[in-house]
Amino acid sequence: MAYPFTDDHNMIREAARGFLQAWYEGGKGPERIYQSGTAYDAAAWKSFAQELGMAGIAIDEEYEGAGLSDLGRVVVMEELGASLCAIPFLTSCGIVTDILQTAGEQIAKNRYLKKIAAGELSDAYCDGHDALRKAVTHVAHAAEADLMVLSRRGEGGMDYFTIAKGTSGLTITPEKTMDPTRSFASVDWSGVSEGDMIPLGYGSEEQHQKLITQSFIALAAECVGGAQACLDMTLEYAGQRVQFGRPIASFQAIKHRCADMFVELEAARSAVYAAAIATPEEKTEAALIAKAYASEAFYKIAGDAIQLHGGIGFTWEYPLHFFFKRARANKSMFGTPENAYASLAETLLGDAA
Amino acid sequence: MSDLVQEVRDTFGQWMSDNLTDEFACLKWRGTFGDDEAYPELRKKWEQHLGAAGWIGVGWPEAYGGKGYNLPQMVAFNEEYARYGGPGRSGHIGETLLAPTLIAYGTEVQKQRFLPPILNGTEYWCQGYSEPGAGSDLSNIKTKAWLEGDEWVIEGQKIWTSLAVDADWCFVIARAETGSVGRNGLVFLLVPLVQDNVEIRPITQITGGSEFNEVYYTGARTAKDNILGKVGDGWRIAMALLGFERGASTLGQQMIFANELNEIIKLAKSNGKARDPLIRQRIAKAHAGLRIMRMTALRSLEGTKIGEMTREAYMSKIYWASWHRDLGDLAMDVMGADAEIMKNGEFDALQKTYLFARADTIYGGTNQIQRNIIAERALGMPKEPRGGETVIKG
Repeated sequence: MAYPFTDDHNMIREAARGFLQAWYEGGKGPERIYQSGTAYDAAAWKSFAQELGMAGIAIDEEYEGAGLSDLGRVVVMEELGASLCAIPFLTSCGIVTDILQTAGEQIAKNRYLKKIAAGELSDAYCDGHDALRKAVTHVAHAAEADLMVLSRRGEGGMDYFTIAKGTSGLTITPEKTMDPTRSFASVDWSGVSEGDMIPLGYGSEEQHQKLITQSFIALAAECVGGAQACLDMTLEYAGQRVQFGRPIASFQAIKHRCADMFVELEAARSAVYAAAIATPEEKTEAALIAKAYASEAFYKIAGDAIQLHGGIGFTWEYPLHFFFKRARANKSMFGTPENAYASLAETLLGDAA
Repeated sequence: MSDLVQEVRDTFGQWMSDNLTDEFACLKWRGTFGDDEAYPELRKKWEQHLGAAGWIGVGWPEAYGGKGYNLPQMVAFNEEYARYGGPGRSGHIGETLLAPTLIAYGTEVQKQRFLPPILNGTEYWCQGYSEPGAGSDLSNIKTKAWLEGDEWVIEGQKIWTSLAVDADWCFVIARAETGSVGRNGLVFLLVPLVQDNVEIRPITQITGGSEFNEVYYTGARTAKDNILGKVGDGWRIAMALLGFERGASTLGQQMIFANELNEIIKLAKSNGKARDPLIRQRIAKAHAGLRIMRMTALRSLEGTKIGEMTREAYMSKIYWASWHRDLGDLAMDVMGADAEIMKNGEFDALQKTYLFARADTIYGGTNQIQRNIIAERALGMPKEPRGGETVIKG
């Protein structure tokens, strides 16, 4: 693996890939999760987070993490994208880790960061937007999270707090989703008393926006991993499938479509790696580009993969549909590509008005 | 960033700022895509000015008069050149294509003869590859070359020869073994253009300009020693030369693209198109594409030697060419109805960009050929059957 990675990253990638591909088992992993009816594999999370030590990848060494920040996360998320493993790395080791490290009070850091790094906690994040809003839908991994971090706008910025599971007035309702491999839930805390909202930290609105946007990078990396898996499956299939007396991979119509998939995939990869190594000043812009570009690329490549597989690509038995469904979900998760480009346009062109 | 790279940025940036002034000031941002014919004489003078200060061939080994810059330094050099609006380089074919090939395959005598005039900006080169029947199928070369006494004699027609009018020499691939086909039997010759048996006919392009030319060799001559490698090495050397094409200079090219996008943004702000939500999306996407190109170039260059290619490098040409073509479309849509009007009776910079970008997806390997190359070399898909190998049944 070349620039911008180091040997540390390569080792992590190999370890993650070995574990996650064993879990994926040629598509049996996602199917098992679908059959189970719950998009969370607790045993896999325990092994991945605790035995492989992946949960602390972006946590500072002070709290017993690996301190590998965005680039370390990108490596793991690519492998997660290629396997669709139903574990909450995206939130637990992404936005929740970043909020606690950046905005957490010392007491919250001490209490949670080491535990997250050790893989003893799984976390979800719920953006409460403003203080009056107390119900949010589409919260990833909320149903299974041990620790739920919520945010709301306060007087001078953002307040972060948590509500313990089982608190009176808190309802978490799992949602049934088209992509069966990532769990989403609605969270309603309108009945929770102020005293049961345990403060974790606070920060400026600007810092909050930066944290949220930075968390897009991990999702974008997942898209790259998923898209790579779709292209790999397509190349393998096209090399084996014989029609008109030759492998369909020898037809230019197939080759050119695969070449286009490759171009989009590598462009998405560049967008993601650029965001992972961006300076703090360039981070927000780079993360917006990564999310917009990689999620669109994944969606297009997954769709192309189905097309190039022909009828088999349309069957439930063949695992492509799980990637196609994840790709669609990722396009709108954390805001659509259009939203991201609209924000980018504000920076380049000023207000639309 | 290492100190050495920063030193290049500081020293060369300062030099550009001090020197692209006075008589050269009018060259800023000129002579680039679609504008190759701007100020040909002054741009040669600028080349000599660059050369006198030691800024030509900075990536060549020191033994041949270069500075031995490594890739990060080359990136810095090219970015600084473009950042200050350095004009299109008249000498780039000699400096970035022929010279590395000479250094790799030439004899000491050839190097001593041909490298110094490139370094000081006194001799200019063009590339004699394509022929009417050998475009994408480059190995179908028909131009012939044979030895007569101490000279090679060349007979044939080349086409799409960029900048031939301003060049002194051309490197020509020709067929030296009678009856050979495809990649066999070719020679790579260095041919002086200023002689009676070479005729250059400019081709008028859709831009109205004529950067490209037809070059007729009707018994043209060059000295026996002006061959790189041996008879039969022509194809290998010609391909190696193309490998040098994809280098650090792409980073400089991207700075020029960025400047074009900035011009479009300025126009959109002034004519109100910046309020159109669809235009806003397209401008944002164009900006994203530039960031992606930069990272792709860094990924392709880092850890490789000049001339080598990583897997992702295969997507670079089709990506930037398609991006630039889209940018041309965007430029016209931002201009709106004004895009039709030729102010002062001439194409303005954006109109030139728009028209010229149509060439980007064709020269140096069309987008269709790029897809074949990606499929076969980067993805390992089966090779395209060649003519004669398949039977098409009616």
